[in-house]
Amino acid sequence: MIKSLMDQIREINRKYATPEIVMTPFVKWCLLSLRVYLLLLVLLMIVKFVIAARH
Amino acid sequence: MSTETAEALPAAPQIRKDAGMNLAARSFFGFRRMNKAMRMFLAIAGPGIIVMVADNDAGGITTYTTTGAQYGMHLLWFLILLGPVAYYVQEMTVRLGAVTKRGHAEAIFASFGRTWGWFSLLDLVVTDWLTMITEFIGMTAALSIFHIPPVLTVIIVWIIMGSMIMSGRYWTWEKITLVFCLVNLIYIPAAFMVHPSMKDVLWGAFVPHLPPAHGGQPGGFTNTLFFLLMANIGTTIAPWMLFFQQSSVVDKGLKEKDIKFGKLDTAIGSVLTVVVAVVLIIVCGQLLYGKKVDDAAQAAISIMPSSKFIGTVFAIGLFDAGLLGAVCISLASSWAFGEVFGWAHSLNRKIKEAPWFYAYYFFDLVLAGTVVLIPRAPLVLITLFVQVIATTLLPAALVFLIILLNDKKTMGKYVNTRWENIANITIVVAVIATSTLYAVSAIFPGLFGS
Repeated sequence: MIKSLMDQIREINRKYATPEIVMTPFVKWCLLSLRVYLLLLVLLMIVKFVIAARH
Repeated sequence: MSTETAEALPAAPQIRKDAGMNLAARSFFGFRRMNKAMRMFLAIAGPGIIVMVADNDAGGITTYTTTGAQYGMHLLWFLILLGPVAYYVQEMTVRLGAVTKRGHAEAIFASFGRTWGWFSLLDLVVTDWLTMITEFIGMTAALSIFHIPPVLTVIIVWIIMGSMIMSGRYWTWEKITLVFCLVNLIYIPAAFMVHPSMKDVLWGAFVPHLPPAHGGQPGGFTNTLFFLLMANIGTTIAPWMLFFQQSSVVDKGLKEKDIKFGKLDTAIGSVLTVVVAVVLIIVCGQLLYGKKVDDAAQAAISIMPSSKFIGTVFAIGLFDAGLLGAVCISLASSWAFGEVFGWAHSLNRKIKEAPWFYAYYFFDLVLAGTVVLIPRAPLVLITLFVQVIATTLLPAALVFLIILLNDKKTMGKYVNTRWENIANITIVVAVIATSTLYAVSAIFPGLFGS
């Protein structure tokens, strides 16, 4: 079952290897920065949640 | 001159008669056109109303209740503002689904490639699963008011949700879900029964202002205010809603010519969602302002002594909200996985025809239901934090959506207009700014007051 799942994931990666929308490196960098920033905010909130839950 | 007038006179009744016939004919054909349009709308309506009403899920009801108890009616204007926000975001999914015939997950994978595709799917899985937990928290809390133990509630929910999708027809599932949407409107009479001050309601609704200090709580910008603003945004627009409505539009088979009805469906839904949110804040603002209320179930219990009817309405509404949310969220995930993994993924398929699609649906249900049964889990805290985390992750999904809707090659004449882009980019910037302000207030609690 795990092998079948891995095969499916490989197939998906192959199928979607080339994006239909071509983005400039700047746009890609902006998207990545936004993603990293949002993940940092989420991490911060998780820390806050753990502290609040302990109290 | 007088002869011309005399000759003209006898013709006048004829003109009036023709005009009368024309009016009758015009009215008849107008009525037929209206009737046809109405029937078309009723056939197409569903995804927009369902997603918007389900948006007032258990977490949403808890958020509105807490907001009303904490700030009275002072944030009504903010909730009203969120109505157009929800509409602008969601109507993009109608256009995208109707034009591309692709669900949201598939559209992101195809348009942005595998890396961004997996990121989006991971966001969806995490936020959906967390939100599903909040739905079960709400449902178990609601039925515990009627002395039904959480284990029994979870089993009842599994049975209801399982039987809803057994028919193997999208139409049947949609109509059952619309009935649950109607039940969500049960809160509306409560707002009239509590006899709120119209001056307070109108002031709160139409004059944007910051809440003043009240009952020992500081007013203005505070950590709590940012937290509740975030939670309210998170309950009005969430990543799962984008995935759900687009996939639902595709599963229903909406075409480009149906977009105007799809937009109307979404607009009606956004009005309903705001009405329910406003009603809840009015009721809680009137009955519980200044009292410490952590969740909707506690609000229902607090209201019971003053009005058993309203307390019961709160409990029933909370259960219904949780059920609606759970149905839509688990389907959003199942559709997304089906689209990406290439499984059969339609409510028009029987279980044996789309086993993986339904397996994921049940897997989500069982997993979320089980977490709620863990003893001493901080359920209320989880509920509010899930809304906040969903809001924080929202801009990433919105940016993809905006880029997709600006792809002229795919969208053709249905591409975003300048005004739609301005509105949606403003929403993204506002959400990022609110998230940042909340984060700053979390790191430096003394900065804005606690």
